[in-house]
Amino acid sequence: MNSAVILKQVPDTEALIKVKPDGTGIVKEGVKFVINPYDEFGVEEALKKKEAAGSGEVTIVSIGPDRSVESIRTALAMGADKGVLLKIGEDEYSDALATAKALAEELKGKDYKIIFCGKQAIDDDMAQIGPMVAELMGLPCVTVVTKVDVSGDKAVCSREIEGGKEIVEVALPAVISCQKGLNEPRYASLPGIMKAKKKPLDIKDTKLDAPKATIDKWENPPQRAAGRIIEGDDAAAKAAALVKALRQEAKVI
Amino acid sequence: MANLLVDIRDQQFNLYEMLDLEGLTKYPKFGDYSKDMFDMVLSEAEKMAVNVIFPSNAEGDKEGCSYANGKVTVPKSFEDVYKKFIEGGWITISDDAEVGGQGFPEVINAATKELFGAANFAFIMYPGLAHGAAKLVEIYGTDEQKRTYMDKMYSGQWGGTMCLTEPGAGSDVGALKTSAKPTGDGKYKITGTKIFISAGDHELTENIIHPVLARIEGAPAGTKGISIFLVPKYRVNSDGSVGDFNDVNTGNVEHKMGIKGNATCTLNFGDKDDCIGELLGDEGTGMRVMFNMMNEARLGVGLQGLAHSTAAYLHAVDYAKTRLQGSDLANFRNPEAPRVSIINHPDIRRMLLWMKSQVEGLRALMYFVAYAIDMSHSVEDQVEKDRWHGYVELLTPICKAWGSDMGFRVTEYAIQVYGGYGFTSEYPVEQFMRDCKIASIYEGTNGIQAMDLVARKLGQNKGMNFINFITLMTETVSKNQPDGALKDAVAEFEKAKNAMADIGGFFAQCGASGKFLVPIGNAYQFLELMSTVTLGFFLLWQGAIAEKKLVAIKKEKGVKDDDWVAVAALYKDSKDAAYYQGKVAAAKFYGAYILPHVEAMAASIKKEDMSIMEIAESAFASS
Repeated sequence: MNSAVILKQVPDTEALIKVKPDGTGIVKEGVKFVINPYDEFGVEEALKKKEAAGSGEVTIVSIGPDRSVESIRTALAMGADKGVLLKIGEDEYSDALATAKALAEELKGKDYKIIFCGKQAIDDDMAQIGPMVAELMGLPCVTVVTKVDVSGDKAVCSREIEGGKEIVEVALPAVISCQKGLNEPRYASLPGIMKAKKKPLDIKDTKLDAPKATIDKWENPPQRAAGRIIEGDDAAAKAAALVKALRQEAKVI
Repeated sequence: MANLLVDIRDQQFNLYEMLDLEGLTKYPKFGDYSKDMFDMVLSEAEKMAVNVIFPSNAEGDKEGCSYANGKVTVPKSFEDVYKKFIEGGWITISDDAEVGGQGFPEVINAATKELFGAANFAFIMYPGLAHGAAKLVEIYGTDEQKRTYMDKMYSGQWGGTMCLTEPGAGSDVGALKTSAKPTGDGKYKITGTKIFISAGDHELTENIIHPVLARIEGAPAGTKGISIFLVPKYRVNSDGSVGDFNDVNTGNVEHKMGIKGNATCTLNFGDKDDCIGELLGDEGTGMRVMFNMMNEARLGVGLQGLAHSTAAYLHAVDYAKTRLQGSDLANFRNPEAPRVSIINHPDIRRMLLWMKSQVEGLRALMYFVAYAIDMSHSVEDQVEKDRWHGYVELLTPICKAWGSDMGFRVTEYAIQVYGGYGFTSEYPVEQFMRDCKIASIYEGTNGIQAMDLVARKLGQNKGMNFINFITLMTETVSKNQPDGALKDAVAEFEKAKNAMADIGGFFAQCGASGKFLVPIGNAYQFLELMSTVTLGFFLLWQGAIAEKKLVAIKKEKGVKDDDWVAVAALYKDSKDAAYYQGKVAAAKFYGAYILPHVEAMAASIKKEDMSIMEIAESAFASS
């Protein structure tokens, strides 16, 4: 079973993110980049499905600057078969739609039974690429998936919804966006790392369409003000002072 | 999970800014490798260490190993960790492809071992000993032995140990009593008892192969009569599968202060006179064969000290940044002043900077020696080859002894930084200290390492190894800025280095005039002296690089040294600038507070004081 995984390289979840003083982006110096954790679930699921089917290829497709090659190679070391990087400049930005268009262009006309992606990237948290790619390719899409069972040309997926789960049957090919709980991604083994070097990785210079939504400025969320302890002689006095503060200062009651 | 085990930035600095790891790829041996592969290996090793191995550390310590009805049980969590470790192929990271290894440089192996050891040393000893034992089979085994034993040990399917110590033969291996009796079919019946056998028995693997030192009946006394045998826990069938029990009986497991997750066993060979072993290598060469494993193990023990100390240090820094206690020194008269994190207090900073300089000095030493092994295997020119190999020989006892002694002291300082909480088992630092202690004892006590250094290594290769190392120090340290921040540290280093060279000559004279007790009685003092100088050398080597880069960053960002607001902002905003400042500070501190001790140490040695021999045995204590 052939499948593709859309993969984004993002700052490590442990990295301390600093906004540039001029607000044009984040400081990248000293930041470690990793595979978006939700995309990693996609890589693992694609590998599992390939292993279960006993044949097929897993292709990693990514958009990003040169450094994204490291993350694609890591996925290859985990066991994926080939990679494609749609290369853009380090600070080149477009919006989700332009990104999805470039990905759909790359993915179309191939024989992918499932296109996996993360439910969202942990850097900008847009959660748009999967559904947009599906729409642009005319494929069905199931999002926030925690279980995938493939049989023939169909897949039965569990997806998280508020207060429970929803079971969805979807015709393949389809786009599936992956949620935590789907699987436990494997680590790349040393023999895997050795093999990854020889696997094909195609780097294509890419020009994204101009964005329809632009980012004006990046800034940190405002610092949370310190809490206040209400003083008073007894519980009744404290309660009275609290009600007064809620009414007159916070104006919430 | 955050990595409080190894400073990855410092690891990268050692590999790519101090050493020329990428340069190794121009030699045929490493021609197939590249920086992105090294980085991927290190990144995967970090994930494995932090996410998979470290969670088993405290658990393994609490659970420990137990022994009942002849069966040893190791901590439950080790089973899954072992499986994942083996699947990753980590045992054979730097072994040749033809024996199933991945062929990475030794320095990459050292860097990953540091990570894994920091994560759980008791665990990592299981695959580590299997590797060491398999290496002996690789070097000395017949093809048949390699197929029967080595392949399965390298793949992690079977375990391994090293069986030297006996109740009456520890540091004095020559006194061992285990015997081997030819059975007539080329094999031997092994009888005897070995104690303190690390990873001696467990069920992480389906079989365990013990390299056992024993004396063939009729062989001469002392080390010359010792041979080495491969003794499996279960015999191996002709199709390679695991067969009958081989009469290797576990007597007990030790109850220890540290590395509790590793089963330290008493093994009784041939209780029923039915324990069969095969000779490895030639008769009477047991010690020579075993020394291959010992050398690997000694560097490994040095790395153990580094591993525990780096984990203890990073935990202490983290704690000191978050623990609020006391007010800032500037506000000390004001009882209402806000509480500050303890890293603001001078005495905490003193301890942390001392720890930083020791940990980073040790890391540089360990990686350098691993890199020297790689270079000695890579360069063609024989003189060059010998020079690199000479560093390895000379510095191995220093790695082992100083890594373990200083590593231990760093873990002890970490407890001090934590204060009372550090003394409780609620926090991880006391375990690091307990786990580290054994490192100064096993694989040749540090006293033995000192004797090896003074009696063998200093004069080895006609003294050229020592001289070459001094030359390397001189050339490298001269690259420091003459008027930079490390000017005074360089001056202290020069004095310390000269004092060290002087003692080298002094010992040679003592030897020539028959005063052997002077170098022997001062062997540990000299090891201390030379180790102090050696770490100073590495810190100044690194300091010179860091200072240059820091100056460049300041220039690029237009930050002037006298504009302290801008300088403080730079260290807050630029990770690289802060990192390099830390390197310079560690070297400067070491130059100011540690190196000046060396001249005093040398003066002590030259006094030829013999109090240690003069004091009567009955005078040590009055009861």
